[in-house]
Amino acid sequence: MAAFELVAPRSVDEAVAALRGGPRTEIGVLAGGTDLLLDLDEGRAEPTRVLSLRRLPWRTLDWAAGSLTIGSTLPLRALEDDPDVRQRLPGLWQAVRAVGSVALRHRATLGGNLGRAAPASDLIPVLLTLDAEVELVGPDGARRMLVDRFVRASRRTELGPHELIRSVRIPEPRRSAYLWQRVRPANDISQLAVAVARAGDESWRVAVGGIPPRATLLPDVAEELGRADPDDRRVARAADRAQRDVAIVADRRASEEYRRRLVGTMLRRAVRAVGQEVRA
Amino acid sequence: MSGAEVSIRVNGSPVPLETVPDDERLLDTLRWRLGLTGTKEGCRTGDCGACTVLVDGRSVLACLTLAHEVAGSEVRTIESAGPDPEVDRVRHAFESAGALQCGYCTPGFVLALAGLLKERGPGATADELLEGLQGNLCRCTGYASIVRAVGLIAGAPP
Ligand SMILES: Cc1cc2nc3c(=O)[nH]c(=O)nc-3n(C[C@H](O)[C@H](O)[C@H](O)COP(=O)(O)OP(=O)(O)OC[C@H]3O[C@@H](n4cnc5c(N)ncnc54)[C@H](O)[C@@H]3O)c2cc1C
Ligand code: FES
Ligand code: FES
Repeated sequence: MAAFELVAPRSVDEAVAALRGGPRTEIGVLAGGTDLLLDLDEGRAEPTRVLSLRRLPWRTLDWAAGSLTIGSTLPLRALEDDPDVRQRLPGLWQAVRAVGSVALRHRATLGGNLGRAAPASDLIPVLLTLDAEVELVGPDGARRMLVDRFVRASRRTELGPHELIRSVRIPEPRRSAYLWQRVRPANDISQLAVAVARAGDESWRVAVGGIPPRATLLPDVAEELGRADPDDRRVARAADRAQRDVAIVADRRASEEYRRRLVGTMLRRAVRAVGQEVRA
Repeated sequence: MSGAEVSIRVNGSPVPLETVPDDERLLDTLRWRLGLTGTKEGCRTGDCGACTVLVDGRSVLACLTLAHEVAGSEVRTIESAGPDPEVDRVRHAFESAGALQCGYCTPGFVLALAGLLKERGPGATADELLEGLQGNLCRCTGYASIVRAVGLIAGAPP
């Protein structure tokens, strides 16, 4: 007998109704399944029903007046293959390509990455620097919030018990870069990651990832960079500030000392990488 | 599981899903139900790539995919060599380069490369092909000959 019953509704209303059909702990939500199926194998979740999102019309990628809306169930590989993403949101493109392997990205989704909210997520730091918003749908309609508010800690988000992530909206193209440090390039998790982006008004956003409990924006570090092209002195000050300010912890992936050294170096490199041609 | 999409096609033949349990991984459907043991299980956690198959021409990890999630799709495994030109091309390159030792990882490498050729076209560069192999591990660590096979496929050594 199957451990759970799989349901794959065709409409959002049906999907939300299915979520309301029982206690939240007994229902699992499945997008690409690259996190959820491992959770099931390891007994972290024991749902009796699994709600598959595969038939919902959410595998979308829409550019409108400069902003980009990404449907939550679009496979990451499709995002990576969009030439506009590469050109107009290079940091996002680099971050997507840092996730697992090609075969993993054929199924893994942005909605699943946000739903899991892993401290080492490669996508959350970049979304923070792009001021991205998530759109949630539930029994009371839709609501939006910044990714910064949505993500709380590992496996903890603002998602209500009967809500689903429908899409993520990025308000404008931004010059941006994402750098990560790992032991192995694929199928490994970042020990530290730095995302930087330059907003339309030339102000900077800086975020670090790879450190529990979650990726964080560093507004004071961004402030040190000033506007537009910072000179070497400003970049050095921002790097010092990042090394001082970031709440760094040690875990089995890296020591506190190693991460602290990395954060300054990677910030300098990331700022310098912005605006340069994106290499594969 | 109910609904219109009640079967998958595996190497061209329809496989009804009615009797397949909702929680069954595509890997288990292939290996245990259909006896297609060419698809290997290395880790079952998405880390090794031994279970790579093609779903509608795209490489997918069969250990992290429920069979019902690919209902309505065409699945290709290593057993499909012959009718599938890309699988065939890669298989021949592996033979010429002697790109296998125990062979356990080989089906996964071949399918991952065949998928890249389908995605990127026959002119895919060695770099593009190698990048697509980052998720495939060889426990015999026979990578040098695999890289040579990639060079044969790309028409130029990486
Ligand atoms: C081998 C391997 C390597 C990996 N490497 C990386 C890496 O380098 N970087 C990285 O960031 N991640 C990595 N991951 C983690 C994972 O692949 C990503 O987080 C992926 O984006 C998850 O997407 P998914 O669609 O597969 O999620 P799923 O497993 O389907 O879902 C993940 C969680 O989110 C919930 N969820 C999914 N979609 C929605 C939705 N629309 N609304 C509400 N809740 C939802 C699910 O209920 C579940 O709890 C790796 C995983 C594996 C197995
Ligand atoms: S068995 Fe699927 S990736 Fe290892
Ligand atoms: S040849 Fe033995 S695992 Fe690769």
